[in-house]
Parts: sequence; structure tokens; C-alpha cells
Amino acid sequence: MKKVRELTPKKIGLNAWSNQFEKISVEIIKKYKYYNNNEWGIYLSPPATFMVYGARELKRLKFDNSFEALRMWGFVFNETERLFRARQINKKVIATMGDLGTVPVLVLSFPDCVPFYPECLWWTPFFKESTDLLDTASKLGLPEATCFSRAVASAFYKKSYFPKPDLIIASTGASCDDYSCVMQNVEDMGYDIMWIEIPYRKSLEFLLTRPKQQDLEKTKSGLVYIKKLEEYLVKEYHKIWQALFKLTGVNNPHRFLETIKKVNRLRSLVLEIKRMNSEADIAPLPALELMTIEFGNLYGYADFDEWVEIVQMIHDMVKKRVEKGIGVLKKDAIPIAWVTPSADPYLLNLVEDLGCRVVETEYVINQAMVQIEEDIEPFRALARSFINASLIGSTEERVKNIKEKIAKKLIKGVLITNMLGASHCSMETRIIEKLLDDVPVLSIDVPAPFGITQQIRTRLEAFVETIK
Amino acid sequence: MELIGYSCSYIPVELLSLTGLKPYRLLHGDLQLSQKGERIVRVDACPLVKSNLGFVFENQKRFACIIGSTGCDMSRRMIEAIKFTTSIPVYIFNNPRTDNFEIFSNEIDMLIKELEHFFHRKFDKNLIHQESERIENIRQNLRQIDARRRTNPSLLSTATFQKIVISYLQGNFGDIKSEIPEEMSYKPRVYLLGSPVSYESGPIIELIEKRLRICGDFNCGLSRALYIKVVEKTIEGLKQAYFKQPPCIFKRPNKGLYEYVEKDLKETKSTGIIAFVLDYCDNFDFEIAKMEKRFSLPILKLKSDFSLQNISQLKVRIDAFIEVLASYRGGIV
Ligand code: SF4
Ligand code: SF4
Repeated sequence: MKKVRELTPKKIGLNAWSNQFEKISVEIIKKYKYYNNNEWGIYLSPPATFMVYGARELKRLKFDNSFEALRMWGFVFNETERLFRARQINKKVIATMGDLGTVPVLVLSFPDCVPFYPECLWWTPFFKESTDLLDTASKLGLPEATCFSRAVASAFYKKSYFPKPDLIIASTGASCDDYSCVMQNVEDMGYDIMWIEIPYRKSLEFLLTRPKQQDLEKTKSGLVYIKKLEEYLVKEYHKIWQALFKLTGVNNPHRFLETIKKVNRLRSLVLEIKRMNSEADIAPLPALELMTIEFGNLYGYADFDEWVEIVQMIHDMVKKRVEKGIGVLKKDAIPIAWVTPSADPYLLNLVEDLGCRVVETEYVINQAMVQIEEDIEPFRALARSFINASLIGSTEERVKNIKEKIAKKLIKGVLITNMLGASHCSMETRIIEKLLDDVPVLSIDVPAPFGITQQIRTRLEAFVETIK
Repeated sequence: MELIGYSCSYIPVELLSLTGLKPYRLLHGDLQLSQKGERIVRVDACPLVKSNLGFVFENQKRFACIIGSTGCDMSRRMIEAIKFTTSIPVYIFNNPRTDNFEIFSNEIDMLIKELEHFFHRKFDKNLIHQESERIENIRQNLRQIDARRRTNPSLLSTATFQKIVISYLQGNFGDIKSEIPEEMSYKPRVYLLGSPVSYESGPIIELIEKRLRICGDFNCGLSRALYIKVVEKTIEGLKQAYFKQPPCIFKRPNKGLYEYVEKDLKETKSTGIIAFVLDYCDNFDFEIAKMEKRFSLPILKLKSDFSLQNISQLKVRIDAFIEVLASYRGGIV
């Protein structure tokens, strides 16, 4: 085990990981478990295991060679098993959909409730290098030119990716249409859905006159919003609270505060990892792991407590790497920003292989990165944190951080990954390109699984050349 | 500047016309305009949105402001694109997707305040009453015209009806006349639903009606706005009427739409459905399979990008559909 930890950081493939894994002692393997269960909760295994189970893309991917990253991958890939186990041991499995990161805070405030995001299944076709879920979606009548999140409808239909949820909370409104349509289709399959309204965050440019100061409020990151928005959300969150109370018979506001603290701890760890990663001379962590960590903020991959520990471990490891001035990419890797998550994780590897380094992201989940205020009424605090969401406001607000970093010359290029036909991609991409025109911007349509063609590589290469 | 633009049936026309401008519904669908719209959005954006953008770019000087809504994601972002490329003042109305009257009601209050400030006018009770009555009378007149195409046999073609409705949608209220020559038809009766048909969709409607008669619709470009009945001529009455209009497909859950259409199919004695779906209009595209199941009537799905290039292919499909209609008996094709 020690040997694994002392290795020089680099990205390695499956075989190398399997060899390294042999050096890990049984005691260590037994040490890490989900739901704190000694019998069946062990999750450490080399990534090759998951490839054998069907995640075929893993054979093409390269991973960070640290034990910490291994722990993370074992945990992340174990999620389906974990959700079925949760059901077996009478935990309540709650599907939260569409809001990305806020409703789970409420769910986690109830004992034995496990939130999960079905939309995260949109990576599954890529990891499995299989179009099965997407083909099933087509058979169900969902059009092909839409976001890959349509795979979620197929997963509900097939009933084998997660147990039947005890409650489904779906957020709609000023979110994305593709996913709202997916959720409607899920309801039409016979699932009961509790619908939650996500109101639109009006920025001042989309008003005819300036409202009175007392009607306005500002998030900590400086976004101005109309106070009523917060009130609407608070009411919706109370509705969710009541539903969870009905489901569990428990009503413990103290636990809500505890959960907020726990969530904040995770969020600050992730923020710190992101900060270290972008400021260090040499990138301490690959983009693939970083994206997985960012998404973990949403719900902790169905075991929040264990996930926080995993991220803490990665945080400490990154810190050490930074202190020692070591990392996974070359020192001269070109800093870029990434807009919209890459449906195909392989692209993250590829871009790094071509000489780039991802130092800023806008994966439409930034609301899950925000600290929830601890000194105000918790429902209000939760609403205030969600108000930062990328998808509910303007495109200009969405890329504000990136713009600032470009101005400071911290970013040399921007890569946008699009889904053909996804509502917000089609409307936002051109505007983003124009807003960020101080640096080269490349937008690529992510093709279906196993579809990265030579043409896409060539475009990426050309993009890297331009920034160099 | 003569126009106040708007983009959704949930935005009260009465409030817009109180500004003294013509409420102009953005409902363009033309290939050339669409290509102009692609200056700022991708090719895979909805053709209606792209055409509207094209129209607004070309007619910037005519718009005093544009009121958008959060109905669908692309139409909400269309207003952003307008803001980004023109100097037209814009406003986005937050149209709730769930059954949330409180948000809707607050939004109307806010819209009123905004319009009053921006246009330096006071929308007092009397004005609201007068304008609501005036426009409700216009809609009542249009409903009577609509009733003629819905009768059996149908006495008015949808092609003609659309021309009349366009006057309403473009704020030319004075152009709406009630004397319209009869166009009785015994052609197979079909119902039209789907993405909004645009001002420029006349040729497609005419083509359909060469062999069929569209005698009812649930469509934002046709009779949709007429289903709004303002009973009480006050702000409260406007809120109720607009909020309770037959719900649009974007509402979650959207069972209200299905209930409405199911009833209307019976009332209009429709024997088939034409589903008009614009490219990349997710909301309708995602629902076609459900519609087929739910309405148990033959459905002809027309997918369009507004180009009329495939018109001959369309003819063939309509002919084939007529055969299906003819052989359709008691729920079995
Ligand atoms: S990627 Fe975009 S279109 Fe797809 S689910 Fe996410 S927000 Fe919606
Ligand atoms: S379809 Fe619905 S959201 Fe769209 S314009 Fe019509 S009423 Fe508004």
C-alpha cells in the first residue's frame, strides 16, 4: 500500500492499475466500505473490475495513479449496487431530478433517506460504449436529436439501474426542456412524481425598468435577483419537507442544520481542490477525476458520509502534491475552461493528451458549489444557494467567472461540449462564443458513444495549436 | 415604433395594448428569416425561434419593447438573444410550469408595474375594464368565426380562419370582420395540434385542406388565444382567465392538455389528428408516442423546418393518411 502512495503522480491505464492494486493489503481493502457495512459494503477494486462488469470505455481511459483516486472510482462505480442494497436494508431511496444539488440537502436531513440523481445516468452509454439505453429511448418515442439525458427515461423503463424510488421529486420551470420532457415521460410510465417549480432568475437587463432596491437581493457571488424568487423556492422546499415527513414520520429541523454543515464541508473541500488545481504550477489532478468530484457535490453518489471522507482524502493528497510541486500534467499545459459537462468522459482525457489543462468549468452545476448560509433560516439559506444556478438565469451570468479569468489572462481558451438538439446548447453556444471572444473558443458536438472521430480530434488539435 | 412584441399565450394582450401599441405576437416561420436567426443561435435551435429572431433583427425599429416568457427554454432564451443583438428593451415573464397561481399572479402585477413605468401610463380600473371588454369582444367575434369551421359540415376552412386570426395575433384588431363567405366542406375532418404554426404556414395548411378539413386545433398559431375568456374585467379577472386557459404542453404534469384535447376531438368530431412538429421542438416531439396511444385516432406527424421543399412528399403522405382515415374503424386501423 505504501508503495502505491509514494508513486510519482501520473495517469495510468487499466493494466497498470491492476498491477498496482495487487500491492494493496487486504486490511486496507476491508477498511473502506459504504453504509459502514463490513459484510457487503467493501468497494475498493481496480477499475478493470468495472470494465468486466460492462463499463467498457474504462479500457480507453487513463486514471490518476493515486490510491485516493482508486478509492474514488471504486465508490463511484459501485453506485448501482449501493442503491439496491439501500433498498434491501430498508433505506428510502429518493430520486431527485432536475434541480442539481439542492433538493438532496432536504432529503439527507431525514434518517435513512438516500437521494440520487437519475440524470447522472447520462454517462452510462459512454462508459458502457453501448447505445442500448439511447436506442431504447428512441423506441419509447424520445427523439434522437436531444440531450443524452434521455437515457434516464430508458433506465426507468428497464428497471434495472436503480430500485423503484420511494419518492420522485422532479424540478421543472426555468430549467432545461430536454430533461423536463424526460421527466414527463417518466411520469407517463406510471411513476408518481412530485413536481417542484424552479422559477426564473431575472437579471436586471431583462426588466424594462429598475425595480426598487427593497425588492432586490444579491447572492454572495454578486448575482442580483428579485427577492420573490427566494420566497417561491422556500415554499417549494417546505412542500418537499412535508412529503419527506409523511414518508419517514420524522420531523427534525436540527438534522437539517447538521446536514447543511456537512454539505458545506464537502462543498468547501471541492472548492479548495478546484482552487489548488487551477493555481498550482503543475496540475495536481486530472480533469476526469476533477469532474467526477465536482458532480459528487450533487448528492455524494448515494452515500454522502463516505463521499465526504473520500473527497477529504483527495483534498489532502492534492495539497501534498501542490506543496511538493508535483502533478499529472506537463508544466506548460495550456489552461482552458470547459463549458457544459462532457457527455463522453473520454474527451477530458483526450484534451489533456493534446496539451491542455482544465482550470475552470461551467458544468451547469455551480449551484452545488455554493456555501449554504448557516446563520439564517435554513429553508431560506437553501433557496439562496440554489439561486446561483446556471440554468435559471442568463447566459452572460453563466460565463461571468470565465470572463473574469480570461481578463486576468488565467485562461487561454474555452472548450464547449454541445449536445445536438439540447435546448440550452442550441441557444447559448453562439452567445457564449461571442461573449468569450477574447480567447479562442471551440465548440464540439459530443457524438454518440464510441463516436469520437478523427475529425473531432483534428478540430481539437487545431484548437490547441491556435492557443499555443 | 408601433409594436410591442410578445411570445406566449400566457401574456395578457389587454395589458400590452394598454400601452397604446399593437401587441405583436412573434410567430414567424420562414426559411430565410430562420437563416438570419442563425447569426446568433445554432442551426439546431427551433425554427420558429430562429425565424422570430430574423424578423426582429430586420424590424428592430418597429418594436418599442418585447415581452417574452419562460414557456419553453428556447423561447425564453430567444429574448436573451434579442437583448444581446439589438437595443430593443426586453422583459421576461416568469410563466410557472407547475400549477402555481401565486407566481403567475405576482408576475402579472410586476408586468403591470413595469409597463406603467416604462410607458408613463397608469392602468387604472377603468382603463383595464374598457380594454378587457374591447378585446374580449374581439375574441368573442373570433370564437363565433371559429365555430363555423368546427360545425359538421364545416363551414369555414382553417386556411381562411388563419388569415383572420393573424390580424388578432399581430394586433390589427380593426381588420377583423365577421362577414366571411361560406366554404362548406365534407372532406375528412382532422384536428391539428403541435408546435405553433407560423404566419407563413398558410401554404402547408392549404395543402392539407386540399384533401382534408382542419376543423379544430390546439395550436398557439391558430385558435389557442381564443380559448381565453375574460369574464370579470379586472386585473384579477385577467389573471384568472389567462392562468386557467387550456394548459399548454409545457405544464407539468401536462395531463390538462390531454384532457382538453380529448374533449375537443369529440366536440369537433375529428376523425384524425395532424401533429405539426417543428425540428428540435422537444416538447411536442417527446409526446407524439403518448398522443398516439392516448387519443386512439390516426395521427399524421408532420415534421417541419418551415422549408416548403418537401411539399410533394407531403402530398403523398397526406394521400396515404386519407387511406388510413378511410380504413379506420372503432379504434382499429
Ligand atoms: S446537459 Fe443540458 S440539456 Fe442535457 S440535461 Fe443537462 S442541462 Fe439539460
Ligand atoms: S406553446 Fe405554451 S409556452 Fe409556447 S407560446 Fe404557446 S402557450 Fe406559450
